[in-house]
Amino acid sequence: MMENAYLPRIGRIAGIEEETGGARGIKTFKVEFPDGDGFDHACGQCAMLSIFGKGESMISIASSPLVKDYKQFSIMKMGRVTTAFHDARVGDMVGIRGPYGNEFPLADWRGRDLVFIGGGVGLAPIWPVIQTAVAHRQDYGKITVFYGARSSRDIMYKADFERLKGSVDVQLSVDAAEPGWSGYVGFVPANLLDKAPPAVNAVAITCGPPIMIKFVIQNLQKLGFADEQIYTTIENKMKCGIGKCGRCNVGKDYVCVKGPVYSWAELKKLPQEY
Amino acid sequence: MEKILCKESFAGWLAALKGYDLYAPAFADAVWNHARIEAGTTPELDHTNTVRSVKEFAFPQREVFFRFEQTKGGAPTLTATVPDPAPTVIFGVRPCDGRAMPRNDKVFAAEFKDPYYWARRDKLTLVGLACAEPHSPNCFCQALGGAPDAEEGLDILMTDLGDRYHVKGVTGRGIEIMVRGSDAFDEARAADKKQVQERHAAARAVGQRGVNDLGKIAEAIRQRFDDALWQDMARTCIGCGICTFLCPTCHCFDINDEVICQSPCSGERVRTWDNCQFADFTMHTSGHNPRHDLGARLRQRISHKFLYFVDNHGTQQCTGCGRCISECPVGIDIVRVLDTVSQP
Repeated sequence: MMENAYLPRIGRIAGIEEETGGARGIKTFKVEFPDGDGFDHACGQCAMLSIFGKGESMISIASSPLVKDYKQFSIMKMGRVTTAFHDARVGDMVGIRGPYGNEFPLADWRGRDLVFIGGGVGLAPIWPVIQTAVAHRQDYGKITVFYGARSSRDIMYKADFERLKGSVDVQLSVDAAEPGWSGYVGFVPANLLDKAPPAVNAVAITCGPPIMIKFVIQNLQKLGFADEQIYTTIENKMKCGIGKCGRCNVGKDYVCVKGPVYSWAELKKLPQEY
Repeated sequence: MEKILCKESFAGWLAALKGYDLYAPAFADAVWNHARIEAGTTPELDHTNTVRSVKEFAFPQREVFFRFEQTKGGAPTLTATVPDPAPTVIFGVRPCDGRAMPRNDKVFAAEFKDPYYWARRDKLTLVGLACAEPHSPNCFCQALGGAPDAEEGLDILMTDLGDRYHVKGVTGRGIEIMVRGSDAFDEARAADKKQVQERHAAARAVGQRGVNDLGKIAEAIRQRFDDALWQDMARTCIGCGICTFLCPTCHCFDINDEVICQSPCSGERVRTWDNCQFADFTMHTSGHNPRHDLGARLRQRISHKFLYFVDNHGTQQCTGCGRCISECPVGIDIVRVLDTVSQP
């Protein structure tokens, strides 16, 4: 019998953390596998989550592959499926298939500095890379995490950032000045240029809104990062996850299979359809 | 295996195909399409081409992946609905549609095999009918490496010789249904084979539309990705998507949940044909759309068929059936588009 890639396994929501409030709030869901049919994943891979009766959405796996007991997903309330997730409760059963896509080549980066640049909910796809690198802290040089949100209440993983500060240089920013904010005020690409992490023997990993990624890459280039030193993950609309439904392609690549992780050296060869 | 089938013996052949679902072209609502026929009838194979292609016999327009039922807070029950169809024979398949199927097979195999597609596809026997002449002024199969008598993708190729058909078994699956109906067939004599060759040569000699510099088109598309010509050519497009729905090789689809009952929540997860000409095909939930206008979407349709598919699978994803030209309500013409793109 052929394996049925469209039939989801069943996951149980074991925890819900409200990250940010507001109309486009973000919640982080911990999903366990009551039937014991969990799966391994790699940093950067995605999974197709579903709420039966609402539909499916492709969501980055935000937990580290080192965490085996559950998968974590940070979901912004946007459309039908993500709203259904925001309405869900602990104990609810959801569909999950995957993992899909390629991975960040973290093992190849041993001995190098890592510069992470995230914006908004775009922190979630690179979060497992940060977690995994920190778990193997001695394997890497300096680790810096730039992260920006519209305002301080839009910052994800606040508690985790506090924990990270011992081993990682955390550079938070908000778009506009607000009372009580002592960090950087301005957009993420500007903060990156301001702090100017050295490019020598470093790798930069970025994800965020398309416009942020564009200017982050420009600024990384100004800082001397070569195309091969810049990695990003691109998320297009997806339905099947297995390279057949035809919508997530960037040029000849179906992002769900060949992506979502690309070096800028690879991505700049493809048409700009993301 | 080459045989002769007198037209009055056709019903006898079909009668021998017990256990098979049989389809043949039928004229209804002013168009030809494939319809179920019963054993014992005689298919009339004087159609031009069916408006809908044969892809739907492996990849139907709507298909249920599984049924779900879930009480609030409870565990869902999922029941997969992978089909188990009877072996199916499709008569009167034009060679352009036959050549489409190996291209679709590549898509639904690749890294992940699609169980729904293959459950149907593995039961299909495609009986082709050579074209005596181009069935439409928009035929261009020969420009894409096909021919009015191309066998690729077909299990049997039939050629109309007036009062009888020449029937050639191309694959084991095709030969199997010829053997089952062997009483209906006569041996093909040398004179029959000569006549077949003459018919095929005559059909090939009829002028079709041509595509300039097919070998250079992939590179031309690559070079002209940002050219204004895509906007120009899409100016009349209304984004209706008929070009891709009727295309024998277009395979894009959507997946949605259709709810039958709210409490307990039950319904079906359904695959339906989808379409790169629709705005929401690629629109992110944020509103950002990587292919944000009709020009970008026309470029995608052409690039997929003549650049990306060539890169990924080594062949064009087009067999020159001409449906997208004939049925386009605003006169967008894929041959003219290709010629425009490849013009220096």
